[in-house]
Amino acid sequence: MTHLLVMMLFAALVGAVMGMASRETPREQFRYGLKVFCEFVVIGLVLAWLLYFLPF
Amino acid sequence: MANKDKSEEKRQESAPGVAWLMGALGWFLPGAGHVLQGRWGRGLLLGGAVWVMFIVGVLFGGHLFSFTAADTGTNPFLQAAPAIANLGTGGLYLFCSLLGLNFAELPEQMRRATFEYGNTFLWVAGLLNYLAMLDAFDIAAGRKS
Repeated sequence: MTHLLVMMLFAALVGAVMGMASRETPREQFRYGLKVFCEFVVIGLVLAWLLYFLPF
Repeated sequence: MANKDKSEEKRQESAPGVAWLMGALGWFLPGAGHVLQGRWGRGLLLGGAVWVMFIVGVLFGGHLFSFTAADTGTNPFLQAAPAIANLGTGGLYLFCSLLGLNFAELPEQMRRATFEYGNTFLWVAGLLNYLAMLDAFDIAAGRKS
């Protein structure tokens, strides 16, 4: 399993729980879960690229 | 209007015993607090996520933290935060604790590339179960639909 897939698995599980626990309707839960998932993945990728260019 | 506000406030302040029971069961067995209230989908999703995170964490080579720090020799205060996070998995943590499973930091485990991922999955499994536990409590107390 690649590092990206591990991060996506982590983001999917956290997004599912956060969406389910913090919103009322199924539609809101899905949207919030998807938002959390996307935030984890996008911020993780941005941070990975920023760290890649650091010389230490 | 004022009476209505007061009764609403009182309803929100007092939680029935069953709510505490559901919260405790949800902590002890991830997902059980929802399933026992007939919330099968919610229980399976919330509990399933915690179980999957815990199992993946163990398979990745992560280890659980104890409160005593006798196994690592480090300061107990440094162990407290990860131990509290791990304790969130409830019965899974207690089961491993009673049998002494997966608490030691073995060198062959630490050499694995996924060792830190495993620890993170185990911590977050516990933290998510705290959220699920509070959700089961709120549903039983009538604060959530």
